Amino acid sequence: MSKGVVLVVDDEAPIRDILSFYLKRADYQVLMAENGLRGLEEMGKLQPDLIISDLRMPEMPGDDFCRQVKSSSATKDIYFMLVSALDGSMSKIGGLNIGADDMISKPFHAQEVMAKVDSAFRIIAMQKEIKRQNVVLRGFQDRVNSEMELASRLQMGMLPALPGVAPGIRYTHHYLPAEGIGGDIYAITPLPDGSTAMMIADVSGHGVTAALISSMVKTSFESQLRLGLDPHAWAVGMNQDLFRNTLAEQFATAFLAHLDPATSQLNYVVAGHPAPFLIGNAGGGKPQQLGGKGFMLGIDANLPFTSQRAAFRAGDRLVLFTDGLEEVEREDRTYLGEEGLMGFCSSLPADAEQAATQLVSQVQAYNHPATFSDDVTLVVVDRVS
Amino acid sequence: MLNIQARQEGSAAIVTIQGKVNFEVTAQLRDVIRDTVAQQQPKLLVINLAGVSFIDSSGLGLLVAARNSVDKSSGKLHLCGLPAQVKKTFDQTNLTNYFSIFTTEQDALRGA
Repeated sequence: MSKGVVLVVDDEAPIRDILSFYLKRADYQVLMAENGLRGLEEMGKLQPDLIISDLRMPEMPGDDFCRQVKSSSATKDIYFMLVSALDGSMSKIGGLNIGADDMISKPFHAQEVMAKVDSAFRIIAMQKEIKRQNVVLRGFQDRVNSEMELASRLQMGMLPALPGVAPGIRYTHHYLPAEGIGGDIYAITPLPDGSTAMMIADVSGHGVTAALISSMVKTSFESQLRLGLDPHAWAVGMNQDLFRNTLAEQFATAFLAHLDPATSQLNYVVAGHPAPFLIGNAGGGKPQQLGGKGFMLGIDANLPFTSQRAAFRAGDRLVLFTDGLEEVEREDRTYLGEEGLMGFCSSLPADAEQAATQLVSQVQAYNHPATFSDDVTLVVVDRVS
Repeated sequence: MLNIQARQEGSAAIVTIQGKVNFEVTAQLRDVIRDTVAQQQPKLLVINLAGVSFIDSSGLGLLVAARNSVDKSSGKLHLCGLPAQVKKTFDQTNLTNYFSIFTTEQDALRGA
């Protein structure tokens, strides 16, 4: 098998013959033509890996021929050597500028040309290998992208359907993962006794691992709901689930709450999560952050948690969020923080969807021109009678 | 930009962190802490956070993991120099009660 195909284009037959002799002796397959036009015809029959072309030829000179070869996507990767007498007709730089890969000056030694040809074929082999790897990589990337898209749709499907309704509340959400899928998750679940369970959680990190853990958090939450109505017990159970099933550095912050619409009592646990804002009078009142703090879930199997109580009455609004919405730092290093976010909450529209949209765009405007670097989740929960 | 420096003082190792500790830099920080613990096997690991402007949940996770790994080798982890913003994050997550926290590096080294 030949080492590759070389097209020799020169109007002088003796030069074609000399080059052909040396090339064949070195195991290359040789095509020959007497000018650029004939060269193109030869290329129609068999595509060469390398072209050695003279500059001055009748019908189509070497520079025109080179431009033609380099301007077609099918042939532009063919290695092109332009042979030129150093008589001012074409400088070396001029040759490279029209797209030639190398220049050979006339008169030449056949050994010099052969050394250049061998070196060119090493480059050609490398290019072929890179192309092959690119095809493999692109295929892999396409597969990963479509998997991610599926996973992203699946994750969106894990969120409650909107507009959300549960005993005592109506709600909406904005869910903006930083990388297509993310580690934020929330759930609002009507319970058989006519009450409502709520959970919002943020798994450390983002991307695929965080997304996997977030679905574990949701499953763990749902299994806790079957065992009782006490957010404190949910926190203890979810903490143990997460501790057992994750690696070091993987944990989740969470806010867990149980609403009894009959008594307007909200019983909740803050587990390392930013506490939600409570806004009285259908959003017209002054926002206040719920009290309470506690460990994140999954650090240690036996962490203590404490539960809190608050009144959540008809007309009140609860703003649940993950830290991506407030841990926003501008280029001038001013930092939004919970206080800044709470400020935005003091003048929200009565409609929950409009309120959520306004709040997210206010934070985006604050952050502009940067975009969110963390997963962002916002849930606006309106208490109805 | 994150700047991490590790040095030894007697049987203690001190890691000084400056900058923003978030998801993008945890790998770098993890390597330094892991290498420090593996090479020096310190009885006491002090992490000085005085120059930290911000720490996110992945940064907290790293510190928790560091404490757990030091615990396993019967060592101690002391944190010091928490700026107000970082202190707030620790308070909110109750980690103030999970770590031994000192005001200055000297206090942390004495480990009262």
